[in-house]
Amino acid sequence: MADVINIQMPLWQLSLLALILFSAIAIVVVLLRCIAHEPSAVGEDRDWSVPSLADGCGTSLLHRWDVRCKILTILVCSFAVASLSHLAPALIAIGLSLIILFIARVSFAKVVLRLLAISGFVGMFLVIMPFSVPVHNGDTVLVFNGMDRLSFNLRGLLLAGTIAAKAIAIALLMEPLLSTAPFPVTLHELSRLGIPEMVGQMVLLSYRYLHVFRHEARRMSWGMQVRGFRKRTELATLRAVGNFIGMLFVRSFERTERVFDAMRARGYRGRFPEPAELRLQAKDVVLAAAWIAVVAALIIYDRIV
Amino acid sequence: MHISDGVLPISVTVGSYIAGAAIVAWSVRRTNSEELPKLAVMTAAFFVASLVHVPLGPTSVHLIIPGLTGALLGSSAFLSIGLGLLLQSLLFQFGGLTALGANALMMGLPALACGWFFQRFKGWIQLRQAVVGGLAGALGTVLASIILAILLMTGGEDFFGVAKIALLAHVPVVIIEGVVSAFTIGFLARVKPVLLQTSFRHPTKAAHG
Repeated sequence: MADVINIQMPLWQLSLLALILFSAIAIVVVLLRCIAHEPSAVGEDRDWSVPSLADGCGTSLLHRWDVRCKILTILVCSFAVASLSHLAPALIAIGLSLIILFIARVSFAKVVLRLLAISGFVGMFLVIMPFSVPVHNGDTVLVFNGMDRLSFNLRGLLLAGTIAAKAIAIALLMEPLLSTAPFPVTLHELSRLGIPEMVGQMVLLSYRYLHVFRHEARRMSWGMQVRGFRKRTELATLRAVGNFIGMLFVRSFERTERVFDAMRARGYRGRFPEPAELRLQAKDVVLAAAWIAVVAALIIYDRIV
Repeated sequence: MHISDGVLPISVTVGSYIAGAAIVAWSVRRTNSEELPKLAVMTAAFFVASLVHVPLGPTSVHLIIPGLTGALLGSSAFLSIGLGLLLQSLLFQFGGLTALGANALMMGLPALACGWFFQRFKGWIQLRQAVVGGLAGALGTVLASIILAILLMTGGEDFFGVAKIALLAHVPVVIIEGVVSAFTIGFLARVKPVLLQTSFRHPTKAAHG
């Protein structure tokens, strides 16, 4: 085994390196944010605070694909990508996801929002891991003069980069999975795949009332602002937030009772009507098989590298 | 903090899915089946509460509320949290879909522990309920961060440094979470004490609960 390769660097280069890392991440995040908040159409003010999963109309290949095949294939693909352990196959996985994104023609802004959501956690790995990974034989380490304890390990950067690439590849697949069919159809097809029907119904109910409570919370916080409440780092703010959450729970609980009574009054017996009837065709299976074959090849490549 | 896709080793990912599914099944059995739609609607409320941001100096943190969920929902909390995390993953990409099992364990197990802790020690006085609620809220976040660190450490010694920093990052959240939980529980004790009896319990178990 080769020894640890030490590359001596003067201290000022440490700050340069940190600056480059930080500013690279910051620039990417700011760019993504600009793209995400660009108004999608004139006069259309869309609220992305709770993204909608309702729109599922389109004519792309993924829209026409059998929903069960699509769910199974994308789930298998996600787990397969999560099991990769080298950077090159993970980068290829990103490429694959981008191709699928292109085929599915989903809203680009929503994809970017998803990437922003994972940027914090993944960015933490990118910043911390090069400094925290223990030094093994064969590693290339940048050592800075006068600071023996702080060394920049390139193996850590590689590891964090692999993690980031895998996370991005999977996150890119979520929008093609969810917004190429109406959400209720996706959930119903899940129940036909063996997931208990109750689970799908509960997800649907939560999703529906999420929007209601979100509005309730916004009304309450407007009321608080009108009365002069401003969030600060102090005990009074925490007290107000505590009461706010308590009030939200009280109102939600009361609404829950009313919702359930209304559902029963309309004859709810633990089932919703089926949203759509779909039939499996040979070309659906062929498409699934082709995709999974590509992913399998990727895994084999990952094992060989 | 939610674990994103591709961080954990695949064996841990799949294993935590299986463990999570088993506990969800147990949680469903402990919940009155008539009440499952109600639990789903309550989950939406917890979801919205977890989006509340609290300012902390120049930045802000959002609440995680595993402790509060456990205190209010008891053994149904795991089901509710699993559901909420699934929605968060689908809607916002907070926590990857492949890491859903791990995230459910990370939030759900503390909720169960806090639910037991709160019901065991809450007593009957409002002040005591608020204090115990605050402790449960803080405990929930502490346990969640410990489970997060353990899950990260399954990746090998390369991940120890990240796990340590993730633990440290939770310290301010623990304090805020505890104080807010204390106020919330105190508010509920004054306004709607019924909510503090875990209301979705199985009817046979709830008789003397």
